[in-house]
Amino acid sequence: MVCQGNPVSEGIAIGKVMRYEPFVPVVDNTAIAGEKIPAALSRYEEARSGAKQELEELRLRLEQEDPQKAKIIKAHMDILFDVAMEEEIRDGIAGGKSAEAAADQIFRKYARIIGRSADERIRERASDLEDVRCRLLRNCMGIPERNLAFLAEPAVVVAKDLFPSDTASMDRRKVLAIVTEVGGPTSHTAILARSYGIPALLGVKDALSLLQSGQSVIVDAVDGKLIVNPAGEEEKAYRRKAAEFRRQAEETKKYLDGDSFTKDGVKIEVELNIGSANAQEIDAIRHTNGVGLFRSEFLYLGRETLPTEEEQYKIYRRVLMQAGDAPVILRTLDIGGDKKLECLQLPKEENPFLGNRALRLCLERRDIFKTQLRAALRAGTVGNLWLMFPMVGSMDDIRKAKGVVREVQRDLDCEKIEYNREIKIGIMIEIPAIALIADLAAKEVDFASIGTNDLCQYTTAADRLNQNVAQYYQSYHPALFRLIRDTVRQFDRAGKPISVCGELGGDGLAMPVLLGFGMRRVSMGLSAVARAKRIISRLDLAQARDMADRVCQMETAGEVEAYLRDALKDIV
Amino acid sequence: MYSKKTVIANPTGLHARPASDFIAAAGKFSSKIRISRVAGDPEEDAANAKSIISLLSLGLAQGEEVEVFADGADEKQAVDDLVALIDSKFGESSAG
Repeated sequence: MVCQGNPVSEGIAIGKVMRYEPFVPVVDNTAIAGEKIPAALSRYEEARSGAKQELEELRLRLEQEDPQKAKIIKAHMDILFDVAMEEEIRDGIAGGKSAEAAADQIFRKYARIIGRSADERIRERASDLEDVRCRLLRNCMGIPERNLAFLAEPAVVVAKDLFPSDTASMDRRKVLAIVTEVGGPTSHTAILARSYGIPALLGVKDALSLLQSGQSVIVDAVDGKLIVNPAGEEEKAYRRKAAEFRRQAEETKKYLDGDSFTKDGVKIEVELNIGSANAQEIDAIRHTNGVGLFRSEFLYLGRETLPTEEEQYKIYRRVLMQAGDAPVILRTLDIGGDKKLECLQLPKEENPFLGNRALRLCLERRDIFKTQLRAALRAGTVGNLWLMFPMVGSMDDIRKAKGVVREVQRDLDCEKIEYNREIKIGIMIEIPAIALIADLAAKEVDFASIGTNDLCQYTTAADRLNQNVAQYYQSYHPALFRLIRDTVRQFDRAGKPISVCGELGGDGLAMPVLLGFGMRRVSMGLSAVARAKRIISRLDLAQARDMADRVCQMETAGEVEAYLRDALKDIV
Repeated sequence: MYSKKTVIANPTGLHARPASDFIAAAGKFSSKIRISRVAGDPEEDAANAKSIISLLSLGLAQGEEVEVFADGADEKQAVDDLVALIDSKFGESSAG
C-alpha cells in the first residue's frame, strides 16, 4: 500500500511504525455545586503545579542539549502562570464551572484570539497555548504524561499532529521520520523537522487508522510517498536511494553559501523567491545575492480587512533591511478571480487566468495599489528596492503603472514624507505579447524577470491548475525556450537586467539552457538554491550556449527533456 | 489611579521580546496595571500589563497611541517606568 503526503523535510527513512497518540482532553461542562467550588480551585492549583513540575524537568534536560528549544518550554511556563488567564479561570470556577471546564474555556478563547493575529510570529503562539491547555487538563484529570522523550528503539513516529513540546522533547536520535495527518510546510513540526534534518511527511490522510505500531514502512520524504509493508526488492532499492540521497544532501550543503560561478568563472546571481517573509525565509536571504521575487500576496490572504500601509511598510522594511545592499524585487499584488480573498470581494470570472487580475486589478482598484506603493516607496529608504509589476501585456500597461507610481511620489512629496527616489521599476514577462515586444519594453523599464509558470501557461494555452490538460502544459516546449531566448537578447542589448523567477529558474535541467541564452540572474525557492549553485559550478558557458542552440532547434518538449537528461546525467 | 499616554515607537510594536520585557517590568510593581489602545474600546482594547497572553492579544503596533493605568501603592512609579520603557523603544533603533 502506498499513501501520499506532503514532504516538508526531505529525506528517506526505512523502519518500524510507532503510533503516538498524545492525550486528547474531553471536558465535561456540567456546572458544579456551590460547595464544591473550593475543591475545584485547589484542583486547578494542583494541576498547575503538576504541569509546572513536568515542564521544569523537560527544561533542565533541554538546557544541556539544546538551549534554543529550552526557550519554548520557558514560554510554556509563562503561559501556565499567566496572570490574566489565571484570573479568568478562577472567576470561571467561582461562577460554578469545574476546574477543567474553566481552564478549557479560557485557553481556547485566547488561542482563538491569538490565532487571528496579523503577525505570523504571534499566530504561532496559538499552538503553544493549545499545548499548555492539554498539559494542564491532563494534570487536572490525573493522567500521566506520554511523550517522545524516551523511545526503546529507533522508529517512524506516526501521529495526528505534534505539539511544540512533543517535537522539542523528542529523542531525535531515535526518531527516523515523522508522519502526521495534519500540518503544512510552515507548521512548527515542519520547521523543527527541517532544523533536525529528520525526514517528515505531513498531511498523510488517515495515517493513524491505516498504520499499526511495529509495521514496516518506507517514508519517502523526497517524492512524498509512504510505502506500507514494502516487498524485499522495494526495500533494497530504497536503501540505495536513501544512501544516494544522504550523499547528495551532504554535497549540496557545501554549495549553499558563497557566490556562484560557472566552471569557466562567470558569476551568476542566484536570488531567493520568498512568499511569506517568515523568519526562516528572511534568514535565508544571506545564502543568496538578494530577493529575486518577493511575492506580496500573503499579506492579503486569510484575513477580513485589507492590510494597512503601516503593516505592509513594516514587513517590506524588515526584508529590505535583512537584504542590505542586495536587491529586493517586490512584486505588487498578483491576484485574480481564481483566488478567494476574504478582504476583497472579486466577481467570479469564467476565465480567471485571462481575466481582471494582478496589475489589471490594481489599475482598477487604485486605492489598494496606491496603499501598497506608498508602503513600498517609504520602506525603500532602508534598502535596495526594485518594484515589479505582474501581468503586463502592453506598453500601455507599463505606462499606466508608472503613472500611478508618479502620483504616489507626488502625494508623498506634498505630505513631506520620506521615500526612496532611486528605486528601479520593472515588469514580469509572463504574457507572450510583452515577450514579443521585449525590445520596446526594455526601453520603458529598468529590468524584467521572466515568470516561466505563467509564460508557459499562456504560451501553451493550458491552465496550469487543470489536471485534465496537464500534458499540454509543457515547460520544456521549444516555443517557451525561444521566447525566453529572444527576451534575454533584447534586454541584454538594452543593457538592462533580466532574470528568471519561475519554476524553471530552479530547474536543474533548464539551467544550462538559460545560461546559454545569456541569463546571468536566476531566482528560486530556498530548497533549490544549493543544488542550483552546484549545477552552475559544473557548467561551462561555451557548452551551455551549444546546448541552448540545440534545444531551440528541437521539435517537441519530450525531445528537449530527453536530450537534457542525457547531456546532464553526470551533472544534475 | 494614575495614568499617562504615549506612542509605541519601536518598529516591531509590543510583540515577542518587547512584550516579554514589558510584562517583566510590570511584574515588579504591586499595583494593578493596565495598558489600553487610546483609539479603541476602553473595555475590549485593554490588557493586563502583567500578562503576556493579554498583551499579545491586544497586538499593539508601532505608531499606536496607548495609555498606561495603574492603581495601587506604587502606581506613579509603575506608570512612569513603563512609559519610559516604551519610549526607550526597547533597545530597538528607529531604523531597526
